[in-house]
Amino acid sequence: MKEVHKNGVKWGMVIDLDKCTGCGACSVACQAENNISFRKDETDRLRRISWLEIYQISNHLPYPHTRVIHMPRPCMHCDHHTPCVSVCPASATKTGADGVVSQVYPRCFGCRYCMAACPYHARYFNWWDPTWPKGMEKYLNPDVSPRMRGVVEKCSFCYHRYHRAKNKAFMEGRRELREGEYIPACVEACPSKAMTFGNLNDPHSEVARLAKSPFAFRLLEKLGSEPKVYYICTQDWVRKQADNYLEEERLRHE
Amino acid sequence: MKKETIWYLDRRDFLKFAVGAVAGIHCSPMPWWLANDIALWTQNWSWRPSPQKGPVSFINSTCKLCPGACGIKVRLVGNLPVKIEGNPLHPINQGGICPLGAAGLQFLYSPSRIKSPLKRTGERGEGIWQEISWDEAIAELVEKLRDLRTNGNSHTVACIDGQRHGTMSRLWERFLKAYGSPNHIYTPSVEDTYDFTLTLMQGEGNGVGFDLENTRYILSFGCSLIEGWGAPTRMMRAYGAWRGEKLGNRTKIVQVDNRSSITVGKSDEWIPAFPGTEGALALGIAHVIIDEELYDSNFVKNYTYGFDKFKSLVLKEYSPQVVSEKTQVPKDTIIRVAREFATTKPSIALWGRGKGSRPSGFYESMAIHSLNALVGNINRPGGVLIPKGLPLTSWPDVEMDDIGTQGYYMPRVDQSKDLRFPFVAHRLQNMAANIQEETFYPINMLLVYEANPFFSIPDNLSFIQATKKIPFIVSFSSYMDETAMQSDLILPNHTYLERWDDAFTPLGLQYPVLSITRPVIKPIFNTQHTGDIILSVARELGGPVARSLQWHSFKDVLKQNTQGLFHYGKGIVPEAEPKEPWKGLSKESPSLPFASSDEMWNRMVEKGCWYDPAYSFGKWNRIFTTPTKKFEFFVTKLTTLLPKARDEVFLPHYEPITLEGDYPLLLMTYELITLVNDGIGNPPFMTKILDDTLLKKNDVFVEINPKTAKQYGLGEGDYAEIQSIKGKVRVRVHLFEGAMPGIVNIPLGLGHTAYDEYLKGKGVNPNEIISVVKEPVSDLALGWGTGIKLVKV
Repeated sequence: MKEVHKNGVKWGMVIDLDKCTGCGACSVACQAENNISFRKDETDRLRRISWLEIYQISNHLPYPHTRVIHMPRPCMHCDHHTPCVSVCPASATKTGADGVVSQVYPRCFGCRYCMAACPYHARYFNWWDPTWPKGMEKYLNPDVSPRMRGVVEKCSFCYHRYHRAKNKAFMEGRRELREGEYIPACVEACPSKAMTFGNLNDPHSEVARLAKSPFAFRLLEKLGSEPKVYYICTQDWVRKQADNYLEEERLRHE
Repeated sequence: MKKETIWYLDRRDFLKFAVGAVAGIHCSPMPWWLANDIALWTQNWSWRPSPQKGPVSFINSTCKLCPGACGIKVRLVGNLPVKIEGNPLHPINQGGICPLGAAGLQFLYSPSRIKSPLKRTGERGEGIWQEISWDEAIAELVEKLRDLRTNGNSHTVACIDGQRHGTMSRLWERFLKAYGSPNHIYTPSVEDTYDFTLTLMQGEGNGVGFDLENTRYILSFGCSLIEGWGAPTRMMRAYGAWRGEKLGNRTKIVQVDNRSSITVGKSDEWIPAFPGTEGALALGIAHVIIDEELYDSNFVKNYTYGFDKFKSLVLKEYSPQVVSEKTQVPKDTIIRVAREFATTKPSIALWGRGKGSRPSGFYESMAIHSLNALVGNINRPGGVLIPKGLPLTSWPDVEMDDIGTQGYYMPRVDQSKDLRFPFVAHRLQNMAANIQEETFYPINMLLVYEANPFFSIPDNLSFIQATKKIPFIVSFSSYMDETAMQSDLILPNHTYLERWDDAFTPLGLQYPVLSITRPVIKPIFNTQHTGDIILSVARELGGPVARSLQWHSFKDVLKQNTQGLFHYGKGIVPEAEPKEPWKGLSKESPSLPFASSDEMWNRMVEKGCWYDPAYSFGKWNRIFTTPTKKFEFFVTKLTTLLPKARDEVFLPHYEPITLEGDYPLLLMTYELITLVNDGIGNPPFMTKILDDTLLKKNDVFVEINPKTAKQYGLGEGDYAEIQSIKGKVRVRVHLFEGAMPGIVNIPLGLGHTAYDEYLKGKGVNPNEIISVVKEPVSDLALGWGTGIKLVKV
């Protein structure tokens, strides 16, 4: 699977947790861009849909050494044996030639096997018909189809924005996109400029440079799924939590 | 008889058949049809929204959801706005946006929108309304205003204004002045604190700038730097810039806070000081700086007054040992931080708790600002600056007749011009107390603009109780909020996406910015611009009021402002993305390239703003306008006011705050960037991303240190009742190591009794149980914490 985009583009993201303020603008921008529905009560994490989840992590030290930070988590767009892609019985999810893991809603019949397989809980099931308060459906973005009850959905790296950028480049007679021409809504919104997006295969791109930082890491690297979302953090306690084990797992591994 | 062959199926045949059938089915297209059918069957959707397609366009405007004045870029498909993004041309947010700004369209289409003018027909708060026409609504308002004015009661009209930084507030002020009322009252904010601290110590308090992007060391006394303090997106952009520097070269952030907040999590050092003792901590730090002679002796000698008195007071009373006992901060920490603060250049000390929605104590602010003077970091790069004012067109004098003059020069109902301490400009809490106790004159009409004080001010229930004595309350709210619910007449304003408006330089920015808000969609309901309503009411009232407000529409008022900028002649209407406008502040801005002020106005509307990223360092006579023309540790303005007081009163010192009643625990409110707690309701997008340790179903969680919780037999998720002198609320408990023992932390912004099903009834509003404490000398109403009892239920 790795060979597919060896010489082409491989879209990836770097989130600098040193710069991230945990404000959640990325998550809200994502919800607005991707027509994500909301319900009266959204406090159940297992039921609510939020492609870009904000995780709260703590160093669990006693007062006054306690530190809590927030961490945005989009779909990791795994590169190697993508867990969701390998299990989908309906061919509803695929790793594209550019590395973006897609989700085709009309093909999905809602078995939720992919949700079980995803190590990052990045996939969400529509338990109900999405509805909007009267009139609010007018703000829906026509570039993204609203999903229906019974299908799984997830972050697409705002692929429709890629289409728009490509169309624009084509109209201007270019075959290649300039750096920064295609960025997902979350990256665009980030007020502290903590998120960077681009072609990981291009050695001159900012993402490729940042991904090589000695402080860069990915979540659950032990699984070998090669996520295309990198994090940077100079604080050791944060980096250590990236490959966290459950208590019972810890015994086996140590 | 011939034996008949009986057809029978043995095991082998069965297996053959089964294998054959499986193979057969797979050779047929049936599985794929089935998968397809299942997909179709599971995707039943009775109603499917089909967003309108069309050409994509962008409109630049300005966000009005908070005073941060970020530039926004609204994406439209056809004529419908579909998304709000940050305007990359705008110097404040440079393309970034905060979660609230990004959720803006949920305000436009909010189910809580008021769709036409409403007149109350039921009891107050019952929610029974009659839709009326705009003509009827304006006629009713005008009639009441005219009656009051004719009877010489114009001063009994009060206006609560939640905006401050815009032409709308200037217009309200002018209208009320011409009409004859001094009661134009802003909702509480830390800006009042900055204003009077600077008025007393530096001479003038018209805006303050913190050159944070250029500073190297930040000592923040409880400011939620990256959670909504100052101009929120500017602060987050600055934070990103600090953290973008090479390791070892990054600006150090030291956060004094009573809980491990997000800002604490992102700071370099957390100093947990007991709430209310921040001023003492600052004086302890001052002690070390003075004692070890680390202060900027040149600045202190040339530009300050009263240093000797301050020195002897601080050396005598605030040794690190004494301060350590008061604040619970270790002595060594105080000494180390003092040394770092004094030797890292430039460094800055900031004050204003949380987002700054409540004023900070007077002596606390003075003590903290003294640190800036000790290290000489006023009017210097990376320090405290006084940004240039906006060169707006000045308006002709208001025409005042006898009634107007008489009314306007009455004392204010909030006693803010009270001779006892005339430096705090707005005291909403006093207004409620004075109405309740009938100490002053009654208030016969209350106008509420872009504010929701019935929800957002501390001890809001007493406030609501007091307003029952006001016979006529008019709300200009776009949403059915708590205040609108309790009013008699609602004249709904357009939302910021449907109207012309502007935003002035936000709090803390070093240079002036004027941002323009313009309609991106035609009003979707039968609403009217409040500015236009003021102008038509003035026309109807006639006489001097009409002659003082002769503009045809509010847009004309905004357009006229540009003339001032045009004649000023300098600054930038952005054509390209600004490159770190805070660099090179000492250079003068380029001249404006426009031939006429109309051309400039058109370009500003198109691009979103005008700014002038320049600052003239030096020019000390502009910075210090006190009677001594210096920075005053010893405040001379107070000496004339309180001639008999002891010296300490005029110097920064620590004044312990006594909370009402005898309670074992302290309840502290805190603010979050993902939870709006002032004039508007939290949008569903933001309520969704709240932590599940904060809200679960309709229950709010309070943070308690596990040790404290153990004393009360409380475990994670237990229900408890918080009892204060003002009342009680039911909450759930979240055990949090980052909470100071003995303190219960509760978020502000939940517990709405109005708005829609996405917000109403979630959590509790801590303002209901907060008792407001009056600070001695300044008489300032402090409402950030209160004594409580915790009972397991």
